[in-house]
Amino acid sequence: MLERKYLAEKYAQEIQAILEKYPSDRRQSAVMPLLYLAQRDKMYVSREDILEIGEILGITSTEVASLIGFYTLYYDQPKGVYRIQVCVDLPCALRGAEKFLTELCDRLGIQPGETTPDGLIAIEPVMCLAACDKAPMFQVQSGAGLTYHENQTVENALSLIEQLRRDAAGRRVAGHERGRDANG
Amino acid sequence: MTKPVTLTINGIQVEAPPGTLIVDAAKKVGFDIPVFCYHPKMEPVGMCRECLVEIGRPVIDRATGEAVLEEDGSPKIQFGSKLELACATPVSPGMVVLGKSDNAKAGRDDILEFLLTSHPLDCPICDKGGECPLQDLTMAWGPGVSRFLYEEKQHLAKRYPLGELIMLDRERCIQCGRCVRFQDIFADDRVIGFSQRGRSLEIVSYSEPGFDSYWSGNTTDICPVGALTTMDFRFGARPWELRLAASICSQCAVGCNLALNVRREVVTGGDWVVKRVMPRQNEEVNEIWICDKGRFGHHYAEQGPKRLEQPLVRKNGELQPASWDEALDLIAERFGSAGAGLFTLAGSRLANEDLFNLDQLTRRLGGKTGLYTHMGGGKLTTQVGLTPGSNFKDLGGGGENEPPDAVLVVGCDLEEEAPVWWLLLRQAAKRGAAVIALNPRATKLDRDARFSLRYPFGSAAAAVLAMTSSLSQKPHDLPESIQDLSRNPDLKAAAKAFAEARNALVIFGSEGMGLAESAALAQACANLLLTTGHTGKPNNGLLGAWPRANEQGAWELGWEADANLLEHLSQAEALYIVAADPVNDDAAFQSAFGSDKFVVVQDLYLSQTARLADVVLPVQSWIEREGSYTSGGRRVQRFYPAIQSTTAMPPKTEAPGVRRASVLTGSVPELQGPQADFAIPSLIAERLQMDGLNHSSAAAVFAQIGETVPVFAGLTYQKLAEVHEQWPIVGRADMYYGGTLYENTQGLGVQLELARTGAPAQPQPAWSQVEDFRLPKLGLMAFPVTRLYDQGSTLMHTELLHQRIGESFVVLNGFDAARLKISHGGKARITFNTSAQSVIVQVRLDAALPERVVLVPRSFGLSIDAPTPVEVRPAG
Repeated sequence: MLERKYLAEKYAQEIQAILEKYPSDRRQSAVMPLLYLAQRDKMYVSREDILEIGEILGITSTEVASLIGFYTLYYDQPKGVYRIQVCVDLPCALRGAEKFLTELCDRLGIQPGETTPDGLIAIEPVMCLAACDKAPMFQVQSGAGLTYHENQTVENALSLIEQLRRDAAGRRVAGHERGRDANG
Repeated sequence: MTKPVTLTINGIQVEAPPGTLIVDAAKKVGFDIPVFCYHPKMEPVGMCRECLVEIGRPVIDRATGEAVLEEDGSPKIQFGSKLELACATPVSPGMVVLGKSDNAKAGRDDILEFLLTSHPLDCPICDKGGECPLQDLTMAWGPGVSRFLYEEKQHLAKRYPLGELIMLDRERCIQCGRCVRFQDIFADDRVIGFSQRGRSLEIVSYSEPGFDSYWSGNTTDICPVGALTTMDFRFGARPWELRLAASICSQCAVGCNLALNVRREVVTGGDWVVKRVMPRQNEEVNEIWICDKGRFGHHYAEQGPKRLEQPLVRKNGELQPASWDEALDLIAERFGSAGAGLFTLAGSRLANEDLFNLDQLTRRLGGKTGLYTHMGGGKLTTQVGLTPGSNFKDLGGGGENEPPDAVLVVGCDLEEEAPVWWLLLRQAAKRGAAVIALNPRATKLDRDARFSLRYPFGSAAAAVLAMTSSLSQKPHDLPESIQDLSRNPDLKAAAKAFAEARNALVIFGSEGMGLAESAALAQACANLLLTTGHTGKPNNGLLGAWPRANEQGAWELGWEADANLLEHLSQAEALYIVAADPVNDDAAFQSAFGSDKFVVVQDLYLSQTARLADVVLPVQSWIEREGSYTSGGRRVQRFYPAIQSTTAMPPKTEAPGVRRASVLTGSVPELQGPQADFAIPSLIAERLQMDGLNHSSAAAVFAQIGETVPVFAGLTYQKLAEVHEQWPIVGRADMYYGGTLYENTQGLGVQLELARTGAPAQPQPAWSQVEDFRLPKLGLMAFPVTRLYDQGSTLMHTELLHQRIGESFVVLNGFDAARLKISHGGKARITFNTSAQSVIVQVRLDAALPERVVLVPRSFGLSIDAPTPVEVRPAG
């Protein structure tokens, strides 16, 4: 039993809304949206979140964790503020997705699967994102949610990354100022 | 009966029932199709692809619906363009299966080549080496060389503990999923699972503790590689060094068939040692499964420094080593003079032979006997218990025009009290049997039960009476406490399902009950069975989830639970206490000892009770001797000696020491070392010039039981050792099929006929005998409950389980926890109002428990033999 129920306290209404979408004897089907909710909170699903989601749905934490392992959508480790997932499945590869991934990583000075030194951008290859005709394409996951970026070039992608970095810096400043206000 | 399907496998014409999978049909005619993921006890999943065969089917003319014939008149067979799975394809008429063709061989060869690209081939250091399906099938079907790059092999964690009982080697895993499926289908503990996909797939456990299940050991048996091993056996021995002794589990009333694997070791001076405990197939008892308590809990029976090695006799106030002659002479003299003043108390982990001889000795001296147990009602199980031909595997949904079978489980947390019965009932429920769980709190059985009903703590018997009453035209007056339940429409529906069932049986336990309450419950259950006509035929009747292995046997042999134990102990002139430690369970019994009472204690260890004795006699453990147990299902089963008993001589003695003289030779001048429990009363009898008690062998005693005790009439050790072919075929050279468990070649046992005591059993008018139990208006009431892992003196010898057993605890309801400001995991002082015992224990919370209820687990250092008022206060 968990002492503190972090998700239930912070997202009571969201959880309620998610659970209401499923019949009461199919509660465990809500595991996908609940995992997504937990991940949006801190860009990964913590061990405590896994336990809590299991308790909410009446399934074991091992079952919850298995799903995190199965889907590339979910992470159980913190890694990057923005996670860029490039689809390299066969149709995308035929449209140059692998080359795109390699070049993009080269320009950022990291290997696929790694995070930039500032800890902001993580890039990884994933399987089918269902946009074969618009490859090279990737999705960006962040606390704000998921965005698709299709028909990409390396230059396009780099300017998007610059934008993401500026957003992150802006939020950091805003965060500091809020902190000062609260203290002052 | 549906018509069998005729097909051809490897040129042999075969008949199989429709729906049979090719792999099983082939197995029945002696052709082994290799498998990794398929297991005969589980649905096929087709994950490993090792069972590839060529399948041809008769060509049917679409216009006429007739089979197309070849020129020679034989049916034209069309083979598929690809190989197919023998494990996932059911047989069909006229099918032609080629399992040994070049194509099929090539397919298997390739699958093995793929599998080995991510397997380390570390057979020389692998526990599975020598009994490994992957090793065997690679030798039989695999390629000699690989076309892949050896350096590109997967490298994964080689030591990944899934908790402290099971070790996972991720490199060795071939992703068959047998373990995950077992935990899902059989154990219903989904605490191991797959993470990642494809080549990166790995087994994970997120439970706390890791792999939190009473069934984890079974996954090591069915794992087709050395990926899952038990911490108990890991690096313990090579399989080919091990010999097998057939045995029966001594931990509970189910009577699981075991294979004890033994070898001789240097550390014991060349003596035999039990290296591991494995399941032995008995499809009528435990199929091929055992719980982890059975697998790991045997260490108490091993030789060890704390075992008693020679008789002790009290001299000048101290227990001092003595010879058997001295001890037996003294006992004979004192028992002889005590005569009717002798009281023999026996524990029910004793074998039938022991209990018989103890009873014979006591009875001939005119003394009294008592069975040491917290559970009553056993006499009824000898009258309305299971009959020959009963098998949990037969229970299910009934036939076309037949109602489903029903099983009522009452006052019993079945997985804790009789684990394998729980496992079998879950399967029966899946086949359509109506399981009725009638308990004072939620248990794991509720998940599979068609009816989950609750009665207030203390009202078990009344709850069963309410069920019986609901079937009657004239409802009886029911106690007030049960009124709510009796108005529950589900109770009426459950009673109806039970009454109308094709077969119906009742399993009763001792949840929240002492001797008197469980005896009343048994009577209520017998009434229900008798009024609904569910007795005296196979798969109908009453079963007790007894706390120990041979409690049923004790009742069958005429022993009865002692309801006035303290009185009997106190009044006796001489006490003979065997395999029981009352003083350890309740210090109050100490008062019965002392003065000039002569006390003999016969045990494995110097128990608390033995410390108060005048003579202490060392005995052989169940693995060191022969004997038989009678299971809760009334099946008499033999266990065989696995190792030699402790010697009185330390192994380092230079001169070839006098080895323990065996009683088996009959005419040995001097006895040495521990003796079998059945032999000692006989040796005492011999000194009293009493004849007719046998000690030459367990078989001789059993033969005597067969001659004297009516329900055992005609039974001999030879009968108990009989076997017949069982399905699935397991434990031969084909370990990839069923697992590393053992085939039963040493005896399936015999189920007893019902005791015929004059008039046939009748329902007792027990309505008025059920008292209206109410919780006190003020204060807390403690109820005893059974946990599978407890701090009992036998299980504590298994260090591997200490973490799972945990510290002493009580379970408190949410209301009183909040009132007392005690949180989960906190400490509290619990004081028993009657005995004044007061201890600090850990508190676990159960919000679903009713107000004023505290659960006190048995054998956790707290003396509780019946519901009793307590006080609980926060501590620290």
